[in-house]
Amino acid sequence: MPWVSITILIPLVASVLLMLLPAADRARARALALLASVLTLASSVVVLVLFDRNLAALQQVDHLDWIPAIGVSWDVGVDGISIWLVLLTTAIFTLGTIAACQHLPEQRGPVFLGLIMLAQAGLLGLFTAGDLVLFYVFWEFMLIPFALLIWNWGGADRRGAGMIFVVYTMVGSLLMLVAIVATGLLAMDATGDLSFLIRDLQGVAFGEATATVLLAGFLLAFAIKIPLWPFHGWLPRAYSQAPIVVTILLAAVMSKAGVYGLLRVGLPVFPEGVGNLIMPVAILALIGIIYGSLLAWRAPTMRLLVGYSSLAHLGFIVLGIIVIDRMAAQGAVLQMVNHGIVVAAAFAVVMMLARGTGTEDMDRLGGLAKGAPRLAVAFLFVTMAALALPGSNAFVGEFFILAGVFNQYAWMAVIAMLGVVLAAVYMLRMYQSTMNGPVRGVRDDGRGAEMRARDAIILVPLILMMLWIAVWPGSLVDYTQASTDAAVAPAQIAEARPVEQIGVTR
Amino acid sequence: MNAGAALTLYVMAAVTVLVFVLAVTPLRGRMRRLPELVGLAGLVATAGIAVAQWGERQVAFAGEVRIDRFGLLMTWVILIAAAATILLAWGEPAAAGRRPEFTGLVLSAATGMMLTVMSGDLITLFIGIELLSVALYILCAVEVARERSLESGIKYLITGSIGTAILIYGFALLYGVTGTTSLAGIAERLGSVDGLLDQPLLVAAIALIVVALGFKASAVPFHMWTPDVYQGAPTPVAAFMGTGTKAAAMGAFLLLFTGATQQASGDWRGLIGALAVVTMVVGNVGALLQDNVKRMLAWSSIAQAGYLLIGVAVGTLAGAESLIYYLFAYVAMTLAAFAVVILREREVEDGDRLSAFTGYGRARPWAGVAMTLALLSLAGFPPLAGFVGKFLLFGSAVDADMAWLAIVGAVASAVSVVYYLRVVIAMWSPQADGAPAVRRLKVPTPVAAVAVAGAVAVVGLAIWAQPLLDLCAGAARALILP
Repeated sequence: MPWVSITILIPLVASVLLMLLPAADRARARALALLASVLTLASSVVVLVLFDRNLAALQQVDHLDWIPAIGVSWDVGVDGISIWLVLLTTAIFTLGTIAACQHLPEQRGPVFLGLIMLAQAGLLGLFTAGDLVLFYVFWEFMLIPFALLIWNWGGADRRGAGMIFVVYTMVGSLLMLVAIVATGLLAMDATGDLSFLIRDLQGVAFGEATATVLLAGFLLAFAIKIPLWPFHGWLPRAYSQAPIVVTILLAAVMSKAGVYGLLRVGLPVFPEGVGNLIMPVAILALIGIIYGSLLAWRAPTMRLLVGYSSLAHLGFIVLGIIVIDRMAAQGAVLQMVNHGIVVAAAFAVVMMLARGTGTEDMDRLGGLAKGAPRLAVAFLFVTMAALALPGSNAFVGEFFILAGVFNQYAWMAVIAMLGVVLAAVYMLRMYQSTMNGPVRGVRDDGRGAEMRARDAIILVPLILMMLWIAVWPGSLVDYTQASTDAAVAPAQIAEARPVEQIGVTR
Repeated sequence: MNAGAALTLYVMAAVTVLVFVLAVTPLRGRMRRLPELVGLAGLVATAGIAVAQWGERQVAFAGEVRIDRFGLLMTWVILIAAAATILLAWGEPAAAGRRPEFTGLVLSAATGMMLTVMSGDLITLFIGIELLSVALYILCAVEVARERSLESGIKYLITGSIGTAILIYGFALLYGVTGTTSLAGIAERLGSVDGLLDQPLLVAAIALIVVALGFKASAVPFHMWTPDVYQGAPTPVAAFMGTGTKAAAMGAFLLLFTGATQQASGDWRGLIGALAVVTMVVGNVGALLQDNVKRMLAWSSIAQAGYLLIGVAVGTLAGAESLIYYLFAYVAMTLAAFAVVILREREVEDGDRLSAFTGYGRARPWAGVAMTLALLSLAGFPPLAGFVGKFLLFGSAVDADMAWLAIVGAVASAVSVVYYLRVVIAMWSPQADGAPAVRRLKVPTPVAAVAVAGAVAVVGLAIWAQPLLDLCAGAARALILP
């Protein structure tokens, strides 16, 4: 069975069905959306079970020619880098769908859920695409549902936020399209065959100058999507204006598209060009770590705080990839999953607080731990994970990254370390000002914000996932190791790194 | 030499005459629809003949008319545009009393377009362009009681005449340089006679022809008439001009440049490339400023002409192939968009204003979906036909070492997203509080059919692109046959 294709097609079909439902039929829409997301999750679990962790290459590939004359095909599969992102996507979207169904006001209805399903299909396609054109197709495909979700159901400034989100992304991605076309045609000059399959392009030597230019074209698109400082202009507006369920999905899953592209496409296809871009990209990532942390520290609302912290955390992941070190890349892949879970949990807490108290403004809240002890415990747990306290899941990932970066460029690790310190500052600020101190801004000591069953159903799975990774990170790394080593190896060879650092020999 | 080969043209001419005869015949009751039905039947029959004739080149009238894969495939584009135009004008209240003439004029314009793309000679090419232009001058002004329609007709007449004058100048010079009016002859002379390519007159001829065709294709800086004419003309006519005329003009570009003066491509590649760049930039920026959807579509058609011109500028067969594919995609998405605008115009006063579309997608989801798909495709979002077309065009530019065209095209497309999506957003956003419910009338089935068919084609042409691309490749090869 083509399980990978099935995993993409279930949400796609569900979204079409949802759009066809009459707007008033919310009961059926809920049932359909929940069923579809659970089925998608189940299908992705099947893919995980069938996964062979010793293989580095793309596996369970479904290949179907689309436009053979220009070498474009439907080619999807999973490898060690994408397998956990697929699982992350299906898991977070299942929880997101549950959260959306809990609060489905009349004006949202089936279309809202349909667009969420469409976004899920786009992201799953992106994480499994084995063909560069297909990668681009899904890259753009997911943009529209997210943009429409922001436009139609966002906050007061939703129009501006949505438009900036779209325009930023499009500028980068259309130049990526030109780079994709150029890559395919240049590869054809070398090999004689026109193909956009990533595995075919990996073997092509473009030469240092060409590879640098092509990689730069891709990098711009990735940098905007990640976002890397200074391309983050869309982030605060989009994150703060989107409906919070959508913000969870944006921060937890969509933000991984850029870093995934960098590791899955950028490094392996253009290894000769990586050397020239290590310094510029690493410096931008470092600036992002510090700048994002400082912004998070001073952020007025909880939502912006978590949003900016996301900027800093993605800086870590980019750093882990671009220094082309096995351990750092391993950490980056792990951290993609970790960040997805932690940021989803953090936004979920914000969602519950905002729902219970009517405000996202930290300074107007205080002492909620008194009336909402269960939420306080969960929140404390999430806070610990977000600041990467030793023993938490994020600690493992950040440790891998920092250790790897230290091996290559010690000074970068020192600067990045500041980000870890600052994370403690801003996360504790959020926790303290809302949970501790005198009771402020709520009635009944904030009992209205207490975690109830409907909240627990979203938070508890996320916390369990964090615990699992914290206790047993090896269970993830086992799967990712082979592919990650293979992804960074060509760049390491091109950079003439010591042989003992390279995990794969060609 | 076989005059029967031009059967498609005879059928079109005969049907046109028949419709004009019916126009002066008093028809009552159900028979009132007869001219339209005859016209549609004629278009279908011609399309059938075009399919049957698909194959190696046949010539008629001593090579004046060439029936080959290129002409026949372009004929299909034109027939689709003409049929859609007749359907879009179905029951058009504004044209009441003049519907038979309307159909007849659309048919004669379509005949002119077909003659243009099937021409094997400068003379037939010129006659074709004139035939389509004259019919369109009248069509623009067909709503004689409406001032804007008349104004639109006059404006188009004046700019069109200037274009024609320049075109005939260019042709005269080209004849002077090569000593022949036959397209195949020109290609042969340019290839074989020494020193011909260095003639300054040749450059002058090429420049004049580029300018003249630029008028017809509404390329910048010869585009000024387009927004006014589109806005003033009856909307089905605007749709026809945006699709059929564009296809014919692009066909003429391909015949004259990629085909006949291929040898002199060094002279015109940069020129047409520059034209494409300016057109893409100005068209997209102009569209940004519009709050009238018809005007926006007019500016968008200018911008789209810029993308299409990439396929000419590269001067390769891959470019021609991509251009022809993109024409199919462009016709589908433009017709779908115009169909939805027409629906809205029939329901409310000033239905072409952006504000008239607020909440329309929610009120009428299928029209909303059709319009959304059409506009997303125009913006080049994957996996729609517009994306595949742009992908091919940009690819042909990169392949011909003109990557700068692709880069400008990419940036221009990013800009275009703003104004296309502005309509999409309006369609799906809720009505302002207290605003009256979106007014909906009974949908004229033919108009709805065009909208839905266009939207389906936008998806279908992308997913099954390969079969059409094979046809396009055959058509492109026919351009350079001796």
